[in-house]
Amino acid sequence: MKEISTNVLIGRNSFAKRITLPSIIILVVTVVGPLGFLLYASFFDWSLTVPAPPRFAWFYNFVLVFKDTRFWNAFRNTSALMIAGIITQSILGLIIAFLLNRKFRFKKLAITILALPIMVTPVVLGFNWRIIFHEHYGPLNYIIRLLGGAGSSWIADPKLALFSIFLVDTWQWTPFVTLILLAGLQSIPHQVYEATDVDGATGWQTFWRITLPLLRPMFVLVILFRIIWIFKIFDPVYILTGGGPGITTETLSLYTYISWVKYWKVGYTSALALVQLVIMNIIAMIFVRKVMQRRRA
Amino acid sequence: MGMNDKKLKEFRQREKRKKLNHWFQNLLLTFFVLLFGFPIYWIFIGAFKEKGEFFHYPPIFWINHFKFDNFFRALSLGGSKGTLDSLIVACVGTVLVVILALFAGYGLGRFKFGGPNLSFFVLSLLFAPPIIAVLPLFFIFKYLRIVDTYLALIWSYLLINLPFAIWLIKGFIEDLPEEIESAALVDGHSRFGAFRKVTLPLIIPGVVVSALFVFVFAWNEFLFALMFTRSNVRTLPVVLSELIGGHGIQWGELSALSLIAIIPGVILVVFFQKYLVRGLTFGAVKG
Repeated sequence: MKEISTNVLIGRNSFAKRITLPSIIILVVTVVGPLGFLLYASFFDWSLTVPAPPRFAWFYNFVLVFKDTRFWNAFRNTSALMIAGIITQSILGLIIAFLLNRKFRFKKLAITILALPIMVTPVVLGFNWRIIFHEHYGPLNYIIRLLGGAGSSWIADPKLALFSIFLVDTWQWTPFVTLILLAGLQSIPHQVYEATDVDGATGWQTFWRITLPLLRPMFVLVILFRIIWIFKIFDPVYILTGGGPGITTETLSLYTYISWVKYWKVGYTSALALVQLVIMNIIAMIFVRKVMQRRRA
Repeated sequence: MGMNDKKLKEFRQREKRKKLNHWFQNLLLTFFVLLFGFPIYWIFIGAFKEKGEFFHYPPIFWINHFKFDNFFRALSLGGSKGTLDSLIVACVGTVLVVILALFAGYGLGRFKFGGPNLSFFVLSLLFAPPIIAVLPLFFIFKYLRIVDTYLALIWSYLLINLPFAIWLIKGFIEDLPEEIESAALVDGHSRFGAFRKVTLPLIIPGVVVSALFVFVFAWNEFLFALMFTRSNVRTLPVVLSELIGGHGIQWGELSALSLIAIIPGVILVVFFQKYLVRGLTFGAVKG
């Protein structure tokens, strides 16, 4: 017996190394190359539109980033999308999850239709919403006029452009929130509700005291994922508004893109990218603490 | 007797309210389904509309002719090249990523290779915004003279998809107890033999799901394709974005091409719904 158990353990570590390392090495090389370049470039006063060679400039680029009003504008826009998106999508997602968490015909069909937006090609959804938002021929303004409103130019209106992006994001990602919260609702055992029924609790009491606390881990997950995705938001903004009118819808990703593709600022863009990487890594650490470890426990 | 009548009345009232409530909920849900389904429906009918039908007020919500002219015109406007290139990049990239991720996922999931630090490294790559890789990759690709090639796209998609697939497959492997392999080892199989004969067949569904997600991510990807392609390689999202920004307003052609572009995503939602939540949350919710 002893012989067998050592046989099972023999070569475990060396096998683990051999099977894991090739992929990890490829991953590390593809990551370390670009990351090294960013670190290097961020220390240089370096622009492709200026004929002068790159000049070592210490932390000059980082100072520029934090002094740049356009960076803060992008930061504000991204944060606004995040806050409005998370609040709206959580509430709407919870309502739809409750509506789905019953027995009824066509349940699978309803979930399928609701889930479709999540996987739609972002460029397609950008184009599609451009038609929907169209001032003269768009169905949105048509419906608003039917209801007695005046309609507006949505993505071309500086006051409504960011709100339009928020609408598109909410359309695409509320279903994601719904699916996660539905999974959470379905994992609450029936006995919990039966017990509260016996205690004579009203529907609202059950909701506030039982359901919502039990859904808490799912909400944490939803919020973290929405932070991650909205932080990266690029495709719909690029297609719908390109950051405009003016810079009213410029997000962090879009501004980074512009500072590279339009202004060819190598050093500055690198610093901008590194700032975003640091912010995202902090969020990743929170994510691991709150979600991944809870799962293991 | 009076008491019982009162109770019966109360009971009936409660039942009536329940029924009403149920109807109201159905109505509300129908409204939401229509609301979220509408833009997809709009793409669908747009693909069959004639040009005049787009520029019509009130907008046309219903069509009863299904001619495929828009599709043929879209394919000749760069759509066929785009579809083919997207297929090439997504297929090659998916095969590569899944093979690499299978081994790494197995090592991380089964043997906890590298401990929590290595796992965290992989996870943090999932969170990093792709935009930050654009500039350095451009310099690297330019130095290697591979801008505007399939290789550049497959390489850059590796950066997004490999961490994702590793993480997802790692989760599927963690679902299986290690003991099932011990039996095979005792029988004299090598470690790799135990992996191939015992574990691999059991995680095939997980591998298929991971592959499909990776395929759709590569197929839908826009930013890297926009940055690293010119004329030799043009994936579907790039072709679409150029038609959108172009001078002619070709909404019919664009809708037709859009309909082609969303097929892989729709397949994922319709046939692999069970795994949707799991994939989208990187395995955090088993769904």
